[in-house]
Amino acid sequence: MRAPWITGATALRQRMINPTQLLSPAAEAEMPPYMESFLAHLRLLVGVPFDYLIADSRLLPDESIRFFYLDRSWCDRLVDGAISVGKMGTREQAHHQAHAPGVQQQLDVSEHIVRVLQRGLQDFPSAKLAADANPQPADLVTGFLLRSAAVSGWPHMDVRAFSGDVPAGIEPSKINPALVLPLLRLERLSPSVLIALFSGVPKLVWCEEPHHGVQFGVEEDSRGRLIIPVRDASGHLVLNADVTKTQIPLPLRTGGRRVIAVSQLRRDIIKKDQALSAQGIPHLPAQTGAAGFAISVLNPPWRQRFQGSGGPGDTGKFTGTISIAAAAERPALTLAVKELLK
Amino acid sequence: MVNPNDPPRGSMYLYDDITPPTVDGSYQMTVSTNINYGTAQSAPITRYFDVVGPRFTLDPTTVANVFPPRNGQGTYQDALPQIVLTRRTLPWERRIDSDSNPLPKPHDNSNPPNGDVPWVALLLFEEGEYTLLQNQTLESVVPPQVFTALGSPKNILCDAIETDFQLLQSILPTREELQLLCHVRQVNVEDRELNAGSSDGFFSVVMSNRLPAPESKCRACLVSLEHRTDLVRADPPPFEYQSDALHSSVLTFPIDLGGFTTVTVVFPKPRLVLLHSWAFTVTGPGTFRTLMQHLDVAMVGAIRDGKPNLTDTGHMQLPVLDRAGETEAAWYRGPLVPWQLTRDPLGPYHSADQCRRATPDTGAEDVSYAAAFEVGRQLAAADARLGQELMRWRRESYRQAARTDTIAKVQKAIAVDLPAAIEEKLQAPIGAAVSVSAAQSLAGSAIPIADRFGINAAAKTVGMDPATLSRTWALTSVAQANAVLGQDASTLGASVVLPAQTVQPNTTLEQVAADTAVLTHLTGARDRLVQTAIVKIQNVTRGVIR
Repeated sequence: MRAPWITGATALRQRMINPTQLLSPAAEAEMPPYMESFLAHLRLLVGVPFDYLIADSRLLPDESIRFFYLDRSWCDRLVDGAISVGKMGTREQAHHQAHAPGVQQQLDVSEHIVRVLQRGLQDFPSAKLAADANPQPADLVTGFLLRSAAVSGWPHMDVRAFSGDVPAGIEPSKINPALVLPLLRLERLSPSVLIALFSGVPKLVWCEEPHHGVQFGVEEDSRGRLIIPVRDASGHLVLNADVTKTQIPLPLRTGGRRVIAVSQLRRDIIKKDQALSAQGIPHLPAQTGAAGFAISVLNPPWRQRFQGSGGPGDTGKFTGTISIAAAAERPALTLAVKELLK
Repeated sequence: MVNPNDPPRGSMYLYDDITPPTVDGSYQMTVSTNINYGTAQSAPITRYFDVVGPRFTLDPTTVANVFPPRNGQGTYQDALPQIVLTRRTLPWERRIDSDSNPLPKPHDNSNPPNGDVPWVALLLFEEGEYTLLQNQTLESVVPPQVFTALGSPKNILCDAIETDFQLLQSILPTREELQLLCHVRQVNVEDRELNAGSSDGFFSVVMSNRLPAPESKCRACLVSLEHRTDLVRADPPPFEYQSDALHSSVLTFPIDLGGFTTVTVVFPKPRLVLLHSWAFTVTGPGTFRTLMQHLDVAMVGAIRDGKPNLTDTGHMQLPVLDRAGETEAAWYRGPLVPWQLTRDPLGPYHSADQCRRATPDTGAEDVSYAAAFEVGRQLAAADARLGQELMRWRRESYRQAARTDTIAKVQKAIAVDLPAAIEEKLQAPIGAAVSVSAAQSLAGSAIPIADRFGINAAAKTVGMDPATLSRTWALTSVAQANAVLGQDASTLGASVVLPAQTVQPNTTLEQVAADTAVLTHLTGARDRLVQTAIVKIQNVTRGVIR
């Protein structure tokens, strides 16, 4: 939705300092800012009824994601339709005919600032100034529609698209920024429907669970059994095609109260470590005590990768932002802390 | 403050435990000085001091963060509840047991974890499994022998939680598990996401060992286990691995009641000192991961079970009420298409009818772009301000068009110095430019200043030319004509030249003042002027007007 264009106070102020509403020769053929902003939003389908996007609800069933290219002709017709308001005679038609290429060119630039406006980061004049100074060429627009309970349950999902492949476990700060496609629009159309538009054709899209600090937890495997994934000493996930090598079944105390048999789990981790290091897989966190155990049950946010034409892969586990060094590996540090406490 | 030992941003360090140099308690300190002077003398002084810390209550500000969030609702069934405390040493500040009443060691004591046993534990209860008691005296919460071991005065008020003995036994961590569930975390102070409030970046974290059940209301309770050797076990109860899908395993015991009288053994309901607790609700469709992993992923236009009916171009047949009032089938495709399309270069369109297309195969109409046009038109018409702005846009353009026409016409008539580019031309002050141009042409046509009386021009007339004159009047010679015209060859026929300007050297005031002759001359000229003025004024006063 469009952010409110003007507030009452600003309107009054503008009226006071600028009593003549028509400015003397401003840049003439240019669209008035409000109009340009309106049409730029329209270009990205802001305000277009959902039925026009998805004509039949079966095209976007529950719990589905649909990727698409944006038909630019369709959006151009939207803009033509909007400009046709008040077009009474040949004079207006001639005017539109003459200005249409310029309008199209300008909107190709200003559609890049719609997201900035929607988030309220900048007002239109300054955003436009920045966009006009560094005009991005009109590229293909692609995107996806997501209808899922994940949209309503995780309201601040992080969506990113890349023009090339990015390794699964990479830290966000180490991603080549040239690979990141600009996000043109990311908005919830209804509580459970999310639309995203990118400039360019993505090779990889990821949706990441919102970050809320560091958490601990377990996971469910494909058969619904509780497991913990195998992590190396710095907290990164150990990836292997053979899931039995990367999963440790969770021992639970009998009685069905979902109580983890913590000591037994620790023994299982040690056993797994011995089994895996025999196969050349990096060492798991040394189970010296609570710190090593904590690394093993870390549950960082999930990052779902959509790549190529296949379905969701199972290797999309997010391993980035938090790298952990086991305390035992830094004796100098431990010593320093103990000195501090004396 | 940047400490070289701080972890880098985005990272954290974990410690098994950080124990304080002295645990809480009462201490006796004896200072003795030995003096050897003659006979050895000693003067001991005995003092007492207490190391105090949270014991039966916990200041809420000590709690940096809890997860799942307080009163939160969400899919927490796969998350281990945790509480983050701002004091890094807090879980180890007290001893869980005493030398006289030690906790037993586990039978399987191979490879024990590092660190001391913390005196706190985070227990998770579902609704109905516990009773919260507020402002209880300590002696009513703990059993007498524990109260004696605590050595605390009577009537100390604290909060408590009461639960079932068997339930507590099934969820309470063992000695070794207590150690594993409690660690210290050091984060970078600059890292806002991991940090809470102003601190040195150290936090102690207590984890629960129980996973919340799906669709349940839960309460996580940080309890004190100080001297609770009556409850904390050394060896864990039996465990099992899940054989198949996640379900609570229900065990049925064959109970033969024949011939026996049932005896109900009433376990005392144990109470624990409650330091902190919070509630949350587990609800929702599943974890983010499960939801995302089970999404139906496809390009738009993918159809499931053959429905709806789409053409291979992604068009869909919809009934349309045409302008004759009849329902006909038309094709429609939205703006979201499964492949790349080229942009229609035939723009702009001025009406929806212009965008209607007929498909050659079926003859049916394709109204996709016409529908887009109408949506755009209706959205724009619904916005009153946009209408005004459109009008302003056009009005401004019409004004400028008129201006361009005017300039073109003026430029045809008068050579006006205007910029070449149309945009700059529109901005140029045309009135001023025309005035300049007009003034220049006026000045260009003025006579030279040296021929003040137009003699040069007059001399060019036919009657003033001696040769023409002599021929016309049939004079004998040109000299005769010259004589008729005034006999002076130098005044006629010769052009008047501008007298050469005498170049004046630059001079200074001192030089002017030193030239007395010129000054005298100037004084005389001034006097004459004054005299003339006086005479004129006298004439005026006498009524003589010249």
